[in-house]
Amino acid sequence: MDVRSQISMVFHLDKCIGCHTCSIACKNIWTDRKGTEYMWWNNVETKPGTGYPTRWEDQEKYKGGWEKLNGSIRLRSTGKSRIIPNIFHHPHQPGMDDYYEPWTYKYDELFTAPEGNDQPTARPISMVTGKYIDIEAGPNWDDDLSGSPVYAANDPNLKGLTEEQKMQLSAIERLVFFYFPRICNHCLNPSCVASCPSGALHKRGEDGIVLVDQERCRGWRSCIPACPYKKTYYNWQTGKSEKCILCFPRIETGQAPACFHSCVGRIRYLGVLLYDADKIEDVANLPSDELIDAHRDMILNPHDPEVIKAAKANGVHDSIIKSAQKSPVYKFVKEWGIALPPHIEYRTLPMLFYVPPMLPVMTSMDGNAKKNMCEGLFPDFEKSRVPMEFLANLFSGGNTGKVRYTLKKQMAVRQYRRAVTVGDIDMEAAKKMLVAADSSVEEAEGIYNLTSLCTFEERFVIPPANREEAIQMMQDPLEHKQSVGFGLLEDPERGA
Amino acid sequence: MRRLSRKLPVANIKSGLAKVSFVLFSLVFFSLLQAQVPADYYKQNCASCHTVGGGRLTGPDLKNVADRQSREWLVNWLLDPDGILKSGDPYAVKLQKEARGAVMTRSPGMTRAVAIALLDLIDEESKLEKSQFAGAQISDRPLLEEDIEEGRALFLGRKRLKNNGPACVGCHTVNSMKGLGGGRLGLNLTRAYARLEGRKGLSAWLVAPPSLMMNPIFKKYPIDEEEVLPLVAFLKNETEKDEPENATARINFLLYGIGGAVVLLVLFDLFWNNRFRGVRRPMVKESYHG
Repeated sequence: MDVRSQISMVFHLDKCIGCHTCSIACKNIWTDRKGTEYMWWNNVETKPGTGYPTRWEDQEKYKGGWEKLNGSIRLRSTGKSRIIPNIFHHPHQPGMDDYYEPWTYKYDELFTAPEGNDQPTARPISMVTGKYIDIEAGPNWDDDLSGSPVYAANDPNLKGLTEEQKMQLSAIERLVFFYFPRICNHCLNPSCVASCPSGALHKRGEDGIVLVDQERCRGWRSCIPACPYKKTYYNWQTGKSEKCILCFPRIETGQAPACFHSCVGRIRYLGVLLYDADKIEDVANLPSDELIDAHRDMILNPHDPEVIKAAKANGVHDSIIKSAQKSPVYKFVKEWGIALPPHIEYRTLPMLFYVPPMLPVMTSMDGNAKKNMCEGLFPDFEKSRVPMEFLANLFSGGNTGKVRYTLKKQMAVRQYRRAVTVGDIDMEAAKKMLVAADSSVEEAEGIYNLTSLCTFEERFVIPPANREEAIQMMQDPLEHKQSVGFGLLEDPERGA
Repeated sequence: MRRLSRKLPVANIKSGLAKVSFVLFSLVFFSLLQAQVPADYYKQNCASCHTVGGGRLTGPDLKNVADRQSREWLVNWLLDPDGILKSGDPYAVKLQKEARGAVMTRSPGMTRAVAIALLDLIDEESKLEKSQFAGAQISDRPLLEEDIEEGRALFLGRKRLKNNGPACVGCHTVNSMKGLGGGRLGLNLTRAYARLEGRKGLSAWLVAPPSLMMNPIFKKYPIDEEEVLPLVAFLKNETEKDEPENATARINFLLYGIGGAVVLLVLFDLFWNNRFRGVRRPMVKESYHG
């Protein structure tokens, strides 16, 4: 058992209101520099929709992640021999149009335009070329189903749905969508790290954050096609790749990441998971339908004395173990099993999890009266307007059973809480439902509390950084301290 | 290191001195080296136009050249033939007339020291019964039909030159060649036999080609003396035939080049037809028109 720790996040999609505050907070801190205008380390997508970059889930085009081959796995995009004919370019990268050409407006013209018959306007200009452009698309062009005959209709997750199901999704007055916020998944088997010829990408030992070493990156751009989530980006100004750093400077000082901190719907939960790194290779190799369970099995119980012993032997600090025992992520993923990884079939073993959304109550207007389209207070999620297969394509590699399990449990919790607080549902029936959903009254209270009443401290549980522990493995910590801090990163021009 | 020397002026001076002394030393060394081997210098730079006691080639026979002009004039002539011609010196103009307009060029690496060493050498050689620079020892036998064929094979590279020199056709062409013609980097050699005034001049040229481009190549891989005669025979034959230049070959070459490039591009496009060309634009286009 090779116990390691990972800072991990859960997104409760039922609570996401699609306000993009997380994206803006992230952009203001990290990607408002020249060369990064087009990057959105955090973005919020509308599903069904094609996302950013367009159709990033279409691995036939972008060749992201791993594929199974001869009993082993290999990168889809590149490899030691396959890189040779393409050594100077990677043919499967998204182009600028697939992201979008970043733009601003020429506000000056509002003040400086000569007097004329028309109101002056601020015309859009490209932030790359500085020239006037016609805006064709943006990073959330398909937001709230805008342009849905083009964008929503081309969502790769619609694969495997019947024509009827597809028709239903886009039927007038039955349109439905939900939001899907995305950051780097800080995977256990990251394909970006595997593809990097310079060894610049690495997964930080103490907290599992995947980082690009800006000193070592040589701009080969292998990571860009290799990441199936398209969450590494090429900075055209510095000629190096960049990606979400899970706000590690904030985490090290006890602050929540910017996206987490600014989240209006409080949908995000951050905590530590302990996992068994010995299993990574075997799990990534399993058949598709076993991946979800095996991935969950890698996550270890932080209360288990055996695990604690192995963790300590592996140099995991006591404070990390203590933090892992209080981790909200552990509860959602492992104890309750209602959070699922996005696109497990890419075999990168992502370490961010999503609680699938309960889709909206189906009602219609009948004259002035609102009419429920289903029996009972809550809709039957089996008849949901978003087919189970669609959610399964997103969160469980097509395995509808896993999605059904989480929805059933969430539904049972709602019924139970309705019985407690309003009482118009029979308590016995509600409890029966809980049992049928593989749950219990205690668990239902736990889910209810952490979903609806949670405080900041319950959602955000991470240990002190213990940077000195990590530094000690490479260098004398005192020497390290003396070599960083006040000073110049680059020699000043005038000579020193 | 760089930073250190920027900071310490002493180190600067030291490295400056080192550089200057190195340059001076190498200048002296190389001029000495050249002065030591004026005979080699003569063979490489002079022998194709001049003999000593072997009669006139393109330039005059240099035997007893010291009797014809002063040492000072000759040194100046070697150093700057162009300047002296331009100044209208009557003897230089006479030389140019005798050479039918051909002008001597300043040879590479010519310095006052080299010029004096060369003139001393020529004086020495003039006293000898038979100088080593009396001219290439190419046989006087009449040129045969086989020689022409052999020369053609050598010219076209069908037969490899004995010392592995490159075949003439790589850079030169003659008008009798059909199709795309030969190389166009060098001169058209149809009238080379006439230009170099016949067998003797052409042979001398071939034994040690003095031109800027050919000299460094054939210094390493000289044309064998046995190969000179067939080449002369071939080029003489060309001069005698004196066919007009095939004007279309030049244009054909360009057209074939453009055509070939287009064919290649089309093949590449077919081969990589399924390459990645963006996702969003094709998707939008297909949704509206598909």
